[in-house]
Amino acid sequence: MLKRIEDWNYYELLSVERTASQDEIWEGYQSALATYRDGSLALYGLVLESERGLILERIQEAFQTLRDPAKRKEYDLALLRHAPYFPPQAPFRKSVGKLEIDEAPPRQTLWSRIKRLWARNP
Amino acid sequence: MDKRIWAIGGGKGGTGKSFVAANLGLHLASLDREVILIDADLGAPNLHTLLGIKPSHPDLGDFLTGAVPALEAAAVETPFRNLRLIRGSENILFIANIAHYRKLRLLRQIRQLPTQNVILDLGTGSSFNTLDFFLSANPGVVVATPEPTAIENTYLFLKSCIMRVLKLYMDHYKIRDLHQKMLDQIEKNSQSLYGFFKSLMESDRTYGTILYRALRTFRPCLVMNRARDENDVLLGRSVADVVRKYLLVDMKYLGAIPYDENVPAALRALKPYYPDHRDAPASRAIRQMSEELAYSIEFTLRTPPEIRMPDA
Repeated sequence: MLKRIEDWNYYELLSVERTASQDEIWEGYQSALATYRDGSLALYGLVLESERGLILERIQEAFQTLRDPAKRKEYDLALLRHAPYFPPQAPFRKSVGKLEIDEAPPRQTLWSRIKRLWARNP
Repeated sequence: MDKRIWAIGGGKGGTGKSFVAANLGLHLASLDREVILIDADLGAPNLHTLLGIKPSHPDLGDFLTGAVPALEAAAVETPFRNLRLIRGSENILFIANIAHYRKLRLLRQIRQLPTQNVILDLGTGSSFNTLDFFLSANPGVVVATPEPTAIENTYLFLKSCIMRVLKLYMDHYKIRDLHQKMLDQIEKNSQSLYGFFKSLMESDRTYGTILYRALRTFRPCLVMNRARDENDVLLGRSVADVVRKYLLVDMKYLGAIPYDENVPAALRALKPYYPDHRDAPASRAIRQMSEELAYSIEFTLRTPPEIRMPDA
């Protein structure tokens, strides 16, 4: 995430996933408020007061948008156009000696593709 | 089992680095894992005191001056099973300013120690020696306390680590002229790390990508020591979040160690804390931390996350 603070999207601002539930968004919002509140120790020596005000405004904006399902849907669609979303869990899990495919879709062989084409245009 | 080198560091003195190192060592040793604790606080060693061990020879100074041929020979047995200690030297003054070749020899020998777990208790500050010990370990744990001075020094320590990582890569790729440019920008303000990378991407995308990837491989962990209430626990989470956003470093928050009056009492009695207070909240936090770190190691072995670069 190499971005300027102004470019963080609402999910990054609240440190939640794009698939976050309303409870997780509420939790992220409270946590972000605690981090960027006036006199927060976490900002001491690193974040300027002017930056803090700007981020706090954006946090409010983020929460107002994400808590409303209609506004969130609209925002998600707009966001998807700029930054495609990849879920954090890869479809692999580590096993003893090799990587095992856990939730990956079934492998498509040439024969299965021909069969599918045949089914569509017999 | 794989060998693990743990480094316990942090910018400010008195945050409990040695306490965490000693008790983490005692916990791992109690799990039947072989542990060597190294007091790498070259200027002010006192790890032996936290373990209730009297000063003796050989020590780290004997290795650095060549009195003992190998680092392993400087590891002395402790009263605790599976736990050995390489004491810091109190007799040799100015040993903290070790020469570069000696430091490299020490780092090499640390990697070659025939044990599962090596724990480095680092000194205060951000001298090159301390930073190099911290960066050579995996995982590196930063210990902070919920005080402005400690938080300020934690950020300074992390910034120094970042500068060091980038400088090592710049030296390797022979792009030293970038180093001064980077220092000038970073000193301006906190967002300048982003600014530096942005301008680098515009001028030289290849080196920009290399350096950014190098930065993303640095994944320190954070422990908030002496937490007195819920706010102190949450402060650690906020600090890790701020570090991720402002310093572009993927920091993992391991949790908080609650304040316990028995810690200074155990120190005054010259006894280690962990064996006599196994069920205390602080001991539980250390156990939980070591479990979290086991996951963290898995985490660091994984492929780095997808990097999205700004358009040059």
